[in-house]
Amino acid sequence: MIEINNVTKYYGKIHALRDVSLKFNDSQVISIMGENGAGKSTLLKICVGILPFDSGEVIVDGYSIKKNSIKARERIGYLPEMPEMYDRLTGREFLFYIASLRKIKNAEDKIDEITKNIGINNFLDYEIGTYSKGMKQKISITTAIMHEPSNLLLDEPVYGLDPLTSRRIQDFIKRNNGSTVIATHSTQLVEQVSDFVYIIMRGKVVLYDKVENLLKKHGSIEDAYFHTKDEINV
Amino acid sequence: MFETINILLKQNIRNIKTKIKESPVLYLVFLIMMIFSILVFSFTTYFLQIIETKIDVSLNDLYFIIFFIFFVKSAVDFYNSFIKSDNVLYPLSTEVSHKRTISEIFLSILIINLIIWFSFSGLYLFFLSFFRIEIFYPFEYLNFFIGVLSGVFLGITISINFFSPKRYRLIPTVILLAFFYYVNEPLFITLTCPLSFLHLLWSIRNAMESHKYIRRKERLKEKSEIKIRSVIKSLFYRETTIIWRDKLFYSFVSISSFVGLSTGYLYVYGDELFIPERLLELYSGFLPSVFVFIGVFVVVIYTAVFPSLNLFLNEEKTMWIIRHLPLSDDSLVFGKTSTLILCFVAAIPFIPYTTVFLGIEKIIFLSWFLAYSFIAGVIVSVPLGVKYVGKKSDIMLLYSVSMILFGILGFGAIFGSYIESRIDYYLWVYLLILIIEAFVLFLSLKISTRILRVKYS
Repeated sequence: MIEINNVTKYYGKIHALRDVSLKFNDSQVISIMGENGAGKSTLLKICVGILPFDSGEVIVDGYSIKKNSIKARERIGYLPEMPEMYDRLTGREFLFYIASLRKIKNAEDKIDEITKNIGINNFLDYEIGTYSKGMKQKISITTAIMHEPSNLLLDEPVYGLDPLTSRRIQDFIKRNNGSTVIATHSTQLVEQVSDFVYIIMRGKVVLYDKVENLLKKHGSIEDAYFHTKDEINV
Repeated sequence: MFETINILLKQNIRNIKTKIKESPVLYLVFLIMMIFSILVFSFTTYFLQIIETKIDVSLNDLYFIIFFIFFVKSAVDFYNSFIKSDNVLYPLSTEVSHKRTISEIFLSILIINLIIWFSFSGLYLFFLSFFRIEIFYPFEYLNFFIGVLSGVFLGITISINFFSPKRYRLIPTVILLAFFYYVNEPLFITLTCPLSFLHLLWSIRNAMESHKYIRRKERLKEKSEIKIRSVIKSLFYRETTIIWRDKLFYSFVSISSFVGLSTGYLYVYGDELFIPERLLELYSGFLPSVFVFIGVFVVVIYTAVFPSLNLFLNEEKTMWIIRHLPLSDDSLVFGKTSTLILCFVAAIPFIPYTTVFLGIEKIIFLSWFLAYSFIAGVIVSVPLGVKYVGKKSDIMLLYSVSMILFGILGFGAIFGSYIESRIDYYLWVYLLILIIEAFVLFLSLKISTRILRVKYS
């Protein structure tokens, strides 16, 4: 479970997040939508502890990301929007490096299982610098889930993936017992896997509802999104 | 027919074209320098012909140098194009026989090396004729040409057999080379060229074995190195792998060796080279110490400051990896910094090379001063690298750190020399200074940890 309380973040003079408070419960898939620069990725980075923020508090399974950051980070799996990795390491070396730093037991078996499942196991002995965007995404997904975290933060998880892998990732998200937070532009993904949706605009949460309710009310998440956007602009 | 040769030659030509397009100025300068070197070489020949000197360069020496250059070059070429190449898997997977594919690779290497030989020797002869030196020596030229052929044949042979699981196959090559050395006569190499060629043909039959053996060995080696380690060891392994794969380690070793040699040479001959004769008495003895100081300074900038700064400066885009993991900032900073042990090892060649000129009695001071300077470099650089992660100001930073270090090293050099000349137990003082420095290094790393924590919380 992740609780975000009154978080504010500035990038210089730009107000990226304004007093944001959210709660991501266990066994829920929560999607965060919003236009480019709305603050979705910023919010995820703050939850993971890779971006400092100006005020507020983030609590992961009872541990503050500021005060108990190691305990908090142990409970998080994170997939960044543009996964940059060490180009001169092979995929296998990179995964074992992350597994060593996370002190994962039976890492070899877990890496084998996940990489086979998402179809990257045959490319693990090549240097990451030679990988395509989708292959990097698969390696990054493996690092996010191999320690079986209770909170999964995924920034555009299916972007650049082939349909089969995309389907497998969606199935995995649905099966996940902990809280799963997805920052995405894909309304289709939201409809298929999410229980709740937050819409953020200009650093503020402007809508929070069950996906089911929004579908009943507007027919599709896309319509709900545009309707909300229009309301804000008015 | 000859598809592999075609592709390899095309790839080589396109590689050169692309590089010229990407950095035309660099390659223009490179081309000018090459032509200039041949011109200088021709001029030296002319010069040696008209002036009597103590230098004695015979045609035999030149022959053996050229033979050796092509021997080494073709060995490396064959290693890169076949033994270790990934691209070669494609032609090897077709229905064309492996022997033919390997023969075509050999031919492409031969063609490239002969092009190099003809263009360089042609240019050299052209410049010689420009200096009005007689160049019509067809027998000698043929002799040299066959020497080049033998060099290429034996180079490829040694490349095949050295990487073979059956190393005894090297014996014929070694025997031939031993004979070359013993007889010391170019004509002998020329006459045994058919023998070298036969040996090459025999080796090509076994080349596939070497290729498979090296690939299998690499796979096993890579797999055995990939395992779960402790946090500090993982960070150390990650950093050193990159230093190794980017060939930075070789670069560090060669720079420290080269600087060591230059420093030693300048220590001995610097006075005569740089101080006018009438001032020699006044300033003699001052410059040699300055050269040693500058030598250590350059080695430390290259092997300590540059990698220490880059431990964090280069992490801008990959910072998410280490920051999202449950790692303490201490483990991160100490783990990454442990990589510098490898860089220190790379700096050590500076000492023996300099000592050859300075004398063995200076080895203690040199070793101490290098260690002192290296640690000082790390103390200054790591916190600054952490402070300016991704700020793209590495050149400015390098300059600033160099200036700070110049002062610290200057102080160390004066102090070290002073205590060595005044105190009997100077070894203990050296040791004490290093212990104090190690403590300061610990503080510096703690400060870096603090900077990292403040930066990301």
